Amino acid sequence: MARMKFLCDAERCIECNGCVTACKNENEVPWGVNRRRVVTINDGVVGAEKSISVACMHCSDAPCMAVCPVDCFYKTADGVVLHDKDLCIGCGYCFYACPFGAPQFPQAGAFGLRGKMDKCTFCAGGPEADRTDAEFKKYGRNRLAEGKLPACAEMCSTKALLGGDGDVIADIYRERVLRRGKGSEVWGWGTAYGPGKAGAQPPAGGKS
Amino acid sequence: MRRAALGAAILAAFFLSGCGEAPQVTVYKQGKYQGKPDTQPWSNAPLAYGDATWNKGDRASWETQINKRAMGQNEDNRIYRQ
Amino acid sequence: MLLTRKSSGQAVPQARLARGLAGVLAKTMDRRAFLKRSGVTLGAGAAAAQLPFAMIGEAQAQAAGAGKVEVKRTVCTHCSVGCAIDAVVENGVWVRQEPVFDSPLNLGAHCAKGASVREHGITHDSHRLKSPMKLEGGKWVKVTWDQAYEDISKRLLAIKKESGPDALMIIGSSKHNNEQSYLLCKWARLWGTNNTDHQARICHSTTVAGIANTWGYGAMTNSYNDEQNSKCLLFFGSNAAEAHPVSMLHTLHAKENGCKVIVADPRYTRTAAKADKYVRVRSGSDVAFLFGLLHHVFKNGWEDKKYIHDRVYGMDKVKEEVMAKYTPAAVQEVTGVPEQEMYETAKMLAENRPGFIIWAMGQTQHTNGNAIVRASAVLMLALGNVGRPGGGANIYRGHDNVQGATDIGPNPDSLPGYYGIAPGSFAHWAKVWNIDLDWLKKQYASEAMMTKPGITVSRWYDAIVEKNENIDQDPNLRAVLFWGHAPNSQSRGLDMLEAMKKLELMVVIDPYPSATAAMMAMAKKEGCYLLPAATQFECAGSVTASNRSIQWREKVIEPLFEARNDHMIMYQLAQKLGFADQLVGKRDGKQNIELVKGKGGMDEPSMESTLREVNRGVWTIGYTGQSPERLKAHMRNMHVFDVKTLRAKGGKDKETGYDLTGDYFGLPWPCFGTAEIKHPGSPNLYDTSRHVMDGGGNFRANFGVEKDGVNLLAEDGSHSKGAEITTGYPEFDHVLVKKLGWWDDLTEAEKAAAEGKNWKTDLSGGIQRVVMKHGCHPFGNAKARAVVWNFPDGIPLHREPLYSPKPELVAKWPTHADQKVRWRLPVLFKSVQDKAVADKAHEKFPLILTSGRLVEFEGGGEETRSNPWLAELMQDNFVELNPKTAADRGIRHGEFVWVSTPSGAKIKVKALVTERVGADHVFIPFHFSGWWQGQDMLGYYPEGAAPIVRGEAVNTATTYGYDIVTMMQETKTTLCQVAKA
Repeated sequence: MARMKFLCDAERCIECNGCVTACKNENEVPWGVNRRRVVTINDGVVGAEKSISVACMHCSDAPCMAVCPVDCFYKTADGVVLHDKDLCIGCGYCFYACPFGAPQFPQAGAFGLRGKMDKCTFCAGGPEADRTDAEFKKYGRNRLAEGKLPACAEMCSTKALLGGDGDVIADIYRERVLRRGKGSEVWGWGTAYGPGKAGAQPPAGGKS
Repeated sequence: MRRAALGAAILAAFFLSGCGEAPQVTVYKQGKYQGKPDTQPWSNAPLAYGDATWNKGDRASWETQINKRAMGQNEDNRIYRQ
Repeated sequence: MLLTRKSSGQAVPQARLARGLAGVLAKTMDRRAFLKRSGVTLGAGAAAAQLPFAMIGEAQAQAAGAGKVEVKRTVCTHCSVGCAIDAVVENGVWVRQEPVFDSPLNLGAHCAKGASVREHGITHDSHRLKSPMKLEGGKWVKVTWDQAYEDISKRLLAIKKESGPDALMIIGSSKHNNEQSYLLCKWARLWGTNNTDHQARICHSTTVAGIANTWGYGAMTNSYNDEQNSKCLLFFGSNAAEAHPVSMLHTLHAKENGCKVIVADPRYTRTAAKADKYVRVRSGSDVAFLFGLLHHVFKNGWEDKKYIHDRVYGMDKVKEEVMAKYTPAAVQEVTGVPEQEMYETAKMLAENRPGFIIWAMGQTQHTNGNAIVRASAVLMLALGNVGRPGGGANIYRGHDNVQGATDIGPNPDSLPGYYGIAPGSFAHWAKVWNIDLDWLKKQYASEAMMTKPGITVSRWYDAIVEKNENIDQDPNLRAVLFWGHAPNSQSRGLDMLEAMKKLELMVVIDPYPSATAAMMAMAKKEGCYLLPAATQFECAGSVTASNRSIQWREKVIEPLFEARNDHMIMYQLAQKLGFADQLVGKRDGKQNIELVKGKGGMDEPSMESTLREVNRGVWTIGYTGQSPERLKAHMRNMHVFDVKTLRAKGGKDKETGYDLTGDYFGLPWPCFGTAEIKHPGSPNLYDTSRHVMDGGGNFRANFGVEKDGVNLLAEDGSHSKGAEITTGYPEFDHVLVKKLGWWDDLTEAEKAAAEGKNWKTDLSGGIQRVVMKHGCHPFGNAKARAVVWNFPDGIPLHREPLYSPKPELVAKWPTHADQKVRWRLPVLFKSVQDKAVADKAHEKFPLILTSGRLVEFEGGGEETRSNPWLAELMQDNFVELNPKTAADRGIRHGEFVWVSTPSGAKIKVKALVTERVGADHVFIPFHFSGWWQGQDMLGYYPEGAAPIVRGEAVNTATTYGYDIVTMMQETKTTLCQVAKA
C-alpha cells in the first residue's frame, strides 16, 4: 500500500523557489501563508551553502496529530496528514509540536484573533467532498484524487524535491545516489547509523 | 502545562497502541476518517482531460497510476528509458 | 477528543481566516527570509488587496466543474530555456497549470517564475494596465483605443513631416514571439527608419557580434541538453541557478555523471554552490582571466594542435600575445587569482574534454564585452572544444524569445536573418515582402540613411539630448515607441529622466508599462500614451529558445481587459500610418500574410502565414524549414525526442501523419532548405562528425578565402561527414554550383529562380537543396577566426573599466580612444576614464558595484513584481555587503543604506551582509523599479497598475560606458560607496 512521502535532495536543490510558487499557484494560498518554504543554510559561505525545501513531512506518527486538543487531524489511508478546519481552533499547539515549522497561521488580526491553521495537504484537499469548490476553497487542490502528485514536487526545477509513494521515490533517489556516489550523508546517515561509505545506501524512505 | 501533559498523554496512547503498522493508519469507516468526512482519492473517477487513468474505487489501479505519475519526477526515466 | 469541542463542526466561519492574512513565518535568516520579514508592512498592504483563501479564484472556481475544459500547450515567457506548460482552460478561464513531463527541454520542471505563470490569467487582482491611457496635466486619463490611435498617429505623422522618419525610434521586445518580432522589424522599415532595437542590445549584442565574427553565427553552439554529453562546464559570467534554473537540471545531471563544474565569478553564486571548483575573480578583469587560463594551456602544450591547424585562423598570433602579456603575475595583478589556482583551473579544462564555456551578462555587459566573448571563444578553440557534441560555447540567452528577436526581429543594423542593411538585402526582402522597393526607398529619409545602422536601445535617450551637430542623422529623436521593454534595464537612469523631459511623444505598449509610465509622469505633464498589450499567453506564435529550437505556443486565453495582442496593434497602427497593405504584403492581387479575426472581430495578421513568409525569406540562418505544420507536430509529440541528443528516434504525428523520425526537437536553426526536404535542424553548430542532412556542419566561410596570404578555408580533410568536397570551400552561389557541375540537379523552376543568386537569396531553395544533397554546407567550410581583424581589438585585449578601482592598472591597460560616431552617436571612452582617475573616483567610491539576477524576477521586473506569488518572495531591493564592508561602515544586516556612484545618483536599498561577495565588491539585483533615489514613485503610476513590490533601480545609479562595437552598456563594473541611511 502506498504511503505518501516527500524527499528533498540537497545536492540538487538550488533554492529557485519553484516549489513555493507551484504550491501558491495550485492551492491559491494567500500572501503570508507558506505551506512550503526553501531553507538555505550557510548562505553565501564558500563550500558550505546548502538548500532544502521544507513543508509538512506527513509524519507516520505525527506530533501535531498527537497534541491537537480538538483532535482535528486525521491520517488518510495513503499516509497523508490532513486536518479539519471546521474543528481547528487555531491554538497553535501543533506548531509547538511540529519539528519542521509546517503549520502556518495567518497573522493576528485587529483583535488578536488567530486564524485557522493551514498546512501542506500533499495536494490531497481535506474533509470536504473531493474535487469540489468547497474543498478547494478551504484546503486547496486535491491532486491525489486526480491521479496526480503534489505540484511542488512535480514542477521542481532540478527534480530535487520528490513526492509520492515512499517506495517509489526511494527507488528514484537510490538510483541517483548510486550513480553519483553521494548525497545521502546530508541527511545525517552517518549520525544515525555510524560512519560508513557515503552513498552506500539511501535513507529508507519507503517504510517508516 | 496541562495541555502539554495532555499532549504527552495522547502521544503515550499512540505509542502504546502503535506496536504495528496498522494502528498508525486510521481505518476507513463509513466515509469517515476519525470522524472527519472525507473520501479516498481512488473513490473518484479520473478527470475528463489529461492522461491519468484508474478504475473508480480500485485502490490498486489508482496506485499504479500514482506510481506511473511519479516517474515524471525521475529524469533518469525520461533520459534513459523513454 | 479530551477537550471540549466547539459546538459544532461548522462553528468557525471561514471569514475569520479572511480577516488576518499577512503573516510571514520566516524562521531562517537566509537572503529571502530576512528580506521577507523586513517587508511586513508592504506585505500587509499587498495582502489587503488580495482576496482571502476562501475567495481567491472564485471566478475560476465557479466556472470549474461545469463546462468545456481544454488543455493548451504553451511555453514559459520568463527565460530562454523554453519550458513547456500545459494550461487548463475552462470556459475561457485559465484555471490550472500542469507540467509537461514529455518536454525534452525541461522534463516538466519549472522555477519560481515558470511555476507561477498562470497568474497571468487571473483577473481579480491584476496589476496590469487595463485600458489605453494618456498623460494629461500630469495625471493618467483613460482613453479609448480609437482616440489613442488617432492622437498617436496624428502626432507621429506631424513629426515625420517636420523632421523625417528618423525622429522616431521603435524599441521592440525580446518577449514578442518570432512572428511579431519579424513584423515589427518590417514595421520600422516601412515607416522608414533603422532606429529600432530590442533587449538583445543590452543582453548579448557583444556575443552576437563577437561570436558571429569568430566562427559564423552568434548563437549558443549547442543546447542545455548537450551538457549531459560534456566532461567540463566552465560558468564564467553566468549564474544559471538563478537566471536559468531549469538548465541546472541538465547541468546537475551531467555533474552527477562525472562532468566537472567550474564557476568563476566575483560572487559565490548559487551556481557556485553546486560547483566542483569556485574561483573568485575581480569584476571587469575577464579577458585577463580567460587569457590567463590560455597561458597555462599553451605553456603546458594542452592545446589541440591538429584541430587548430585544420579549423582555426590566427591562433599563432593570439599565442604570441598571450604568452607575452598574460603572464601569471600580470594575470594575478589584474584578476586577483593566484597562479596555482589559474593553473589548476586550466588543467581541469584540459583534462576534461569536451567541455563548454557558459556565459550570460557577466561577460557581455562590459566596455570591452566584444573582446571578452571572443577570448572565451578562443579558449574553447584552443582546446578543440567547438563543433562537437558536449563541447562549445553555451551562451545562455535571457528572454524567452531574445534569440528569435535577434534572428529575425527589430535590429538597427540588419533585416530579418542578419541580412545587413545593404541595398541587396533590401531588394531581397522587398521581393519576399511583396512590396515595391522604390516605394520603400522613399519611405526613408534618404538612401544613405537606409544603409546606416540605427540608434541603439542602450542610448536612445542620448539621441534626444545630444547636440544636433554631433548626431549622425538629421533630427534628434522626438518620439519613441517603447514596445515591451523596461526603462530600468538601461544604465544611467538620471540621464534618461532628463531626456524624457525633452521627449515630445512616448508611446508605451506593454501589459505592464508602469516603470516607463511612472518615469514619464515624473518627467512630464503630457506627451505619453499607454496601450495595453496582450501577453504571450493571449496569442499564438513561435518562440526560439536559447538552443535555437523553435516551439509553437497555442493561444491559452483571449486578451484580458481591453488588451490587444501586439500584432493586432502593429497592423492597426500601420493602418493609421498608411502602410498596412505593405505590412501584410498585399499587392498586385496577391497577399502574403492573411488577415484573421482577432479580439472583438477585428483583423489581425495570421501568425501561421507570417511564419510562412519568414520561411520564404530567412535562408541565411535556416529559418526556412520550420513550417508551422512541422513545429506543431513537434509540440504534440514531445515524448519521441531524446533528452541527450534532442533527436526523434521515430514516431508519426497522429493528426497529420507527419513522420518525425530524425528531426531534432524544435528544428533548431539552421534548418536549411524548404520544409519539404526535411532538414532535421542543427542541434550542435559546426559539428563535422555528422552529415549536413543530419544536422552536421563546419565553420562558416564569411570572411573571404584568404587573409594576407593565409588560407581562411578549412584545411584538407576537415569537413562535415559525407561532404563531396573534402577540402575547405567558399559559400555557394550559382557560379560555384555551375562550376561543380551540380547545376543540372536543379529543377527547371529552381534554375529560373536561382540564376544569378546565391544560397542566401535564391528564393526557391534549390541551391541549398542541391549543395546539401552533395553533403556540403551552403555557407562554405572555413576556419574560425581567433583574430577578428575588422574589430578594434582584433586579438581580444584586456582594458580596464572606465571606472576602475586601480589607477595603476588603468595606466597599463587603458580603454579605447573616444569615438566620434558609432551607431549615429558620439561615444566616450578615454576621456571618461581619465576624468575618473583625475577625480580620484577610486578613493571616493572604493567599492566595485556589480549587478545581476534573482530567480524570482525577470528583466526590469514589472511583470514578475506584479505577480503576488513571486513578489512575496522578494519584497525589497538590497545590496550584498561583505561583513568587513559592513563593519567598516557601521552597517548592520537589514538596515537601509545609501549606495552612491560617480554618476551623482544615490539609491536607497537594504543591507544584506553576506560572504557571498568579497570585501571589495558589492552586488545589487537589477529587477527593481518604482523608487527614485529614496522616494516611492507610487503616485506616478496609473491607478491599479503599480507592481506589488517596488524598489530602487540599480540602473538609476550605473555609470557611463559602452562597448565599442555594439554599444552594449557597462553595468557589471562600476564604482560606488555605501553609507548608512
